[in-house]
Formats: sequence, C-alpha cells, structure tokens
Amino acid sequence: MQPDDLTRVLAPKLGENLLGVEAFEGMAGRVRFRREAALDLFRAVRDDLSFAHLSMVGGIDWVDHREVFYVAWSDSARQYVLLSTDVPATDAHVETASAVWPSANWHERETWELVDITFDHHPDLRHLLTPDGYAFHPLLRSFKIHEPEELEVKTRHV
Amino acid sequence: MGGLTAAQAPPAPSPRNPTVDLQLSNELPMATQAAVPFIEIEALRAKEFIPASKEALTSLIAEQGQAKLIRPMFNWSGRNSLFPLHWGLACCAIEFAAAFGARWDAERFGVVARSSPRQADLMIVNGTVTWKVAHKLITLYEQMAEPKWVIAMGNCATGGGPFRTAYSVVPGVDKLVPVDVYIAGCPPRPEALLDGILKLEQLIRERKE
Repeated sequence: MQPDDLTRVLAPKLGENLLGVEAFEGMAGRVRFRREAALDLFRAVRDDLSFAHLSMVGGIDWVDHREVFYVAWSDSARQYVLLSTDVPATDAHVETASAVWPSANWHERETWELVDITFDHHPDLRHLLTPDGYAFHPLLRSFKIHEPEELEVKTRHV
Repeated sequence: MGGLTAAQAPPAPSPRNPTVDLQLSNELPMATQAAVPFIEIEALRAKEFIPASKEALTSLIAEQGQAKLIRPMFNWSGRNSLFPLHWGLACCAIEFAAAFGARWDAERFGVVARSSPRQADLMIVNGTVTWKVAHKLITLYEQMAEPKWVIAMGNCATGGGPFRTAYSVVPGVDKLVPVDVYIAGCPPRPEALLDGILKLEQLIRERKE
C-alpha cells in the first residue's frame, strides 16, 4: 500500500480535514489530519483500509504545540500506517479512538497522564502508570527533575 | 510433687551438662536451679512428667521472671522460622528466587516463602518501588502479623538506586515502612541475601522488649 492509495480512499471522506499523506519509511505512509475529523478518519482507516489493529497511541510535546500519533496495523497488507494530528498546547484535546479500536483505551490513559492530552468521550480516563492524584505530567518538556523529597511531598499530599 | 519422693531426689550433677553444648545457653536459662532438673524430667515416666514439668516451669518463672524466660524462647523460635512474603518487584526477585533454589537453599535457615502476608513475618522488598505500588506495599505490610521485619534488598529498595530522581520511583522503601536490614548490590547475589537474613536473625536474638 502506497501513500497514493491512502489518499484515494481518505480524501473523499475527510475533505479539507486531510492535511496530507506522506511517504514514511517502513510504513504505508503518514497521514496528517485535523482533529475535528478524527473519528471519521479512524473509521475509514479501520473499515475501508483494513487497518484492524491499533498498535500504539502516543503524544509528543513540541513546546509550541503537541502532536498525537496513532500506529495501526493491517493484517492483509502486512503494513503499519502512521496517523498524526497537531493540537495546541493550551487546548490539548482530541476525540478518543477507543470507540473504534478498543485497544486505544490504555494507550490514551498513558498519553493523558504523561503528555497532558485529554481524550474526549474516553470511557475511563484514569491514571495508569502514576498514582491517583499525581500532580505532574512527566513527559512534558517543562517538567523539571525534582529532588526526591520534593516529589515525595507533592505526591503524597495531592 | 507428684510421684517424686526423697529417695528419687536428683543425684549429683552429671559431668556433662547439656546446657553447655547448646548455643542457647547464654540466653535460655535452663532449669539448673529448679526443683526438678530437665535431665531428671526426661527420665520420669509419662504420668509423672506433666506435673513435674509444670512445677519446674512454675518455679523457674518465679525465680527468673516471666519476661526473662519467655522472651529468649520466643526470639529463638522466631528467628529460626523467618517466613518471608513470596513476592517480587524487579530483577532482585530473580536473585530472591535463586536463594530459595537448590544451590543456595534458604530453607536450611528455616526461611520459607509464604504466599499470604498473614502467614509471613518478614517482608523482603526485592526491587524498585514506584509510587503507584506504594500503597499496595503498605497494605501488605499492615496485613502481616506482629512481630514483623523488613529487609530492603538491593539499591532500589534501599535508596531508589539509579532511578532515584525518576518521576515515579520511591527513593528508598524506608519512606513507607520501617526497615531493619539493608542489602547493597544491583542486584545482590543470593549469598548477600542470606547474609542479610542472618544479620536479621542477629537482630532478633538481641531483641529485648
């Protein structure tokens, strides 16, 4: 599957919310989209392009904005595809993919607590790796390494 | 005294005093001054044993005081049957498992891993403790019956190890529970774990209250 194949299927469904499809090494391509069309894109990728398995969800802090990316796998094409969208740092939220791929559930919980990206309509947005009430988002670039004692006090009393 | 008459009074002390050979002799006062020496009790018939031993114990308690008699016995049995909680947190658990295998055989020290905290009196914290697992660790510790001890095994449990400044790691399990023995190493070898257990036995031997 080539980037052109992705464009041919996705462009009619997403319209101007499809920002571009690029070649990406080792994958079928990289699909950049606006977050308003997230659910449409997920359904099209799963049902029309046969990427039935969501392999991972992650987030990147680019300081001026944040990026959410999804990697899906197709058994018939034996290829991955990379989907990514940019969200502003001050208003970092995107529609959940767990309605389309249930495996997104825990990945999005992890992304939420580590990179501070909220997933709308997520069924169970709780802390996964850090304790309940944990006050930090450790994978943000603004996170400083704390002295253990300081972290302890803040973690125990939140 | 049931069954004992003047004719059966204890003979002169045997040249071989059984208390001398025992390592316990300094902490467990044997009934050398009691009405019926233990060596005599062994020779008694069964129906005479119970009243005689009862009297010996009563006089011994009256003479030595209850705490002085019971405490060493309690410590002796406790330190020779340390039952650690059978759980693992990180790679130290592999060494923990090896210590209970055929080669190092911790069971020869009376150390038997138990799968329930209610049956355990020793918690060996073998690995990195994160804040996520901290309250579960405290729950397990509180479920253990008194008296109980904690061994911090390895650098992570001792002080956070290489993850000391990480966002999710407890910098030393002594922030959560009182620790009796620290074992250095990353991970410590099974010999080091056994050494730590023997150090803990030494602590229990000296326990007074």
